[in-house]
Amino acid sequence: MAQNVAEQGLSRDELIALRNKRTGMTVFQISWIMVFVCLIVVNWQLRSNSPTWPPAGVEPLPWALPTIVTILLVVSGWLVHNALQAINANQLGRFFGQWRAALVLGAAFVAVIAFEWITIPTTGQYSTVFRVMTAYHAVHAVAIGLYMWYVDGRVRAERVTARDTWAVEAGMKLWYFVIAAWIMFYLVLYVL
Amino acid sequence: MAAVTAPTLPGVAGEEPTRLHVSDYLRWSVDHKIIGVQYMATALFFFIFGGALAMLIRWELLTPAIDLMADGQAYNSLFSIHGTVMIFLWIIPMIAGLGNYLVPLMLGAKDMAFPWLNAFAFWLIPPAGMLMILGYFVGQTEAGWTSYPPLSTLFSGDGQTLWALSLHLLGISSILGSINFIVTIRNMRPAGMGYFQMPLFVWAVLATSIIVVMATPFLAGALTLLILDRVAGTAFFNPAQGGDVLLWQNVFWFYSHPAVYIMVLPAFGVISELLAVHSRKPVFGYRAIALSSMAIALVGFTVWAHHMFTSLTPELRIPFMITSMIIAVPTGIKVFSWLGTIWGGKIHFTSAMLFALSFLSMFVIGGISGVMLGSVPWDIHVHDTYFVVSHLHFVLFGGSVLAIYGGIYHWFPKITGRMLDERLGKIHFWITYPAFFLTFFPMHLAGMLGMPRRVAQYAPEFQTLNVIISIAAFVLGISTFILLYNIVWSLYHGEKASANPWRALTLEWATSSPPPSTNFIGDPVPFPNPYGYGTEAAYNYVESQNKKYGTVNPADYLPAEKSTAVTSE
Repeated sequence: MAQNVAEQGLSRDELIALRNKRTGMTVFQISWIMVFVCLIVVNWQLRSNSPTWPPAGVEPLPWALPTIVTILLVVSGWLVHNALQAINANQLGRFFGQWRAALVLGAAFVAVIAFEWITIPTTGQYSTVFRVMTAYHAVHAVAIGLYMWYVDGRVRAERVTARDTWAVEAGMKLWYFVIAAWIMFYLVLYVL
Repeated sequence: MAAVTAPTLPGVAGEEPTRLHVSDYLRWSVDHKIIGVQYMATALFFFIFGGALAMLIRWELLTPAIDLMADGQAYNSLFSIHGTVMIFLWIIPMIAGLGNYLVPLMLGAKDMAFPWLNAFAFWLIPPAGMLMILGYFVGQTEAGWTSYPPLSTLFSGDGQTLWALSLHLLGISSILGSINFIVTIRNMRPAGMGYFQMPLFVWAVLATSIIVVMATPFLAGALTLLILDRVAGTAFFNPAQGGDVLLWQNVFWFYSHPAVYIMVLPAFGVISELLAVHSRKPVFGYRAIALSSMAIALVGFTVWAHHMFTSLTPELRIPFMITSMIIAVPTGIKVFSWLGTIWGGKIHFTSAMLFALSFLSMFVIGGISGVMLGSVPWDIHVHDTYFVVSHLHFVLFGGSVLAIYGGIYHWFPKITGRMLDERLGKIHFWITYPAFFLTFFPMHLAGMLGMPRRVAQYAPEFQTLNVIISIAAFVLGISTFILLYNIVWSLYHGEKASANPWRALTLEWATSSPPPSTNFIGDPVPFPNPYGYGTEAAYNYVESQNKKYGTVNPADYLPAEKSTAVTSE
């Protein structure tokens, strides 16, 4: 990421620390996305054992509502990106608007997935693999959403300033992770 | 225990000597050196535990009948926990400990990139180890370290669940540790140290860390599903309910074959350091060794299905056989580079060097039997026999453990400020080397003759071989206590070590032994070629370090050579 104006005022040690955090976050994301890839492999292997997918007698999941919340999730990614730009420019009002809107969209996404989770039939591999994948993703969405809420409080308490916005940047990158992981799952669960 | 004291550096004001006691290693610390020692001490504890289980295995196999164990299930638990402990609680943490201690020092850094995360990664290991041991005593952890379903789902008990939880913690620990290594190596090198000026041990840790961060999440996924099958009523691995037992094998081996390289690549790094230092020669083919580590990391992801040759469809066997053969190429490059390194060098047969040379001979045997197992017809013939047990131990003991032994003799002075006793070291070596060979080489024969692995009872015609193996194994087990005794004795009575007793050029030696809390006084200046031995410039560099830090034992352990004009590239 390009160095912003505030970063130019950081000491050498602070810049190294920031660089470490950014590299660490990237490596963590590359690593942890592999668990989601693993679950996709599981899905593919199980469906390869069945002549049809979903198996005969099982209704495919309706895709309209999940598609809508997937779009909302992508929009939330755009919002958190704007929120980071806002706090880097010390525009707190704009930050709160964008950040909280993203949180609301994230909550809506989790609510819809929870609805899907509850309404899908509870037996059979089609259901089981869907439930495990979506639950695993939802745990990440909720945990990272809670972290973003915590960051909101830190900004409100003026503990995050334009000089050091790593907490917001980390929240944004983690939310990107939620979005990327979900797009992979959405394609596997609803499209392919 | 006596305090391990760092000397006050001559001519340096304001730096308090570091006085460390045993209690400092029993509590939370973010100092990478303390964490490194914590890793290594914990690993040694589990080495003794896992080794004791191995002795019980060999005791049981002295006779064809079950006589020591209560039944076959008790024997199943024995080898399951032995394998898991040795891999996940001995070799991997030991190597993480060496990496933790050495990587920041070799890079001239004050610490790892994320000291708190480093400590957190370590402190996941003791509870994980306790869960594993608890699982053994709870019982019914009977599916081997590979834990294939349905053995691990339908025919195991609560111990198996604890096994899976333990591995989950260990996996998270590995991932966090590896993220730290990658960031440290990428971002915290000193001025003048590009990637191709890094010590080869650092290259090996980098390649290992890349494997860990990419492959270990697959283990996490597999274990999650296994736990769900065991406790939540899912049936991912139960074909009767639409599941698939091969699903576990695919996902598990996607992690666990690269895990072999997680265990052996850092050992390669150790060997590269030891051979160059103790033969006073520049490393032959530095770039080839460095890049072959990355090649192994890459190709290692394409070979997992050779563990499933007997259950794989025929058309898939050939591609995996080819990739399994290909991965021998970068390993072969390393072996020839190491031979080129010592060729024509001034070899000093220190204990560290003896173990490095023993690694070369024994690991090559393990590598060759690996190529044999990569061949489909041979693999099918010796599938699930003692040939596989032999291969695995030649790679992991003949490779990783012998390298670790060498590394202990080499870096013990830096870590403790005391030399290990060389006479005891050589006794340790001359008992370990033949005992290792006689323990594991005859297993090839037993396997080729058809003795299956993981059985407490066997056909009477295999008894002679098994008696030889067991006696050699007992000697091997006893030899370990010579090392442990040497460590404890030397901590109290060992000769004080200078900053650089081996006259090495890598940066961990450019500071006192043990290093101060900040590792270095000022910014260390790396020698342009970390293996540029035998040159006037190298001689002057080491002498300048000696002037700065003093030589406790003026003769040093390796004599100074002003110029040998040895070149190897």
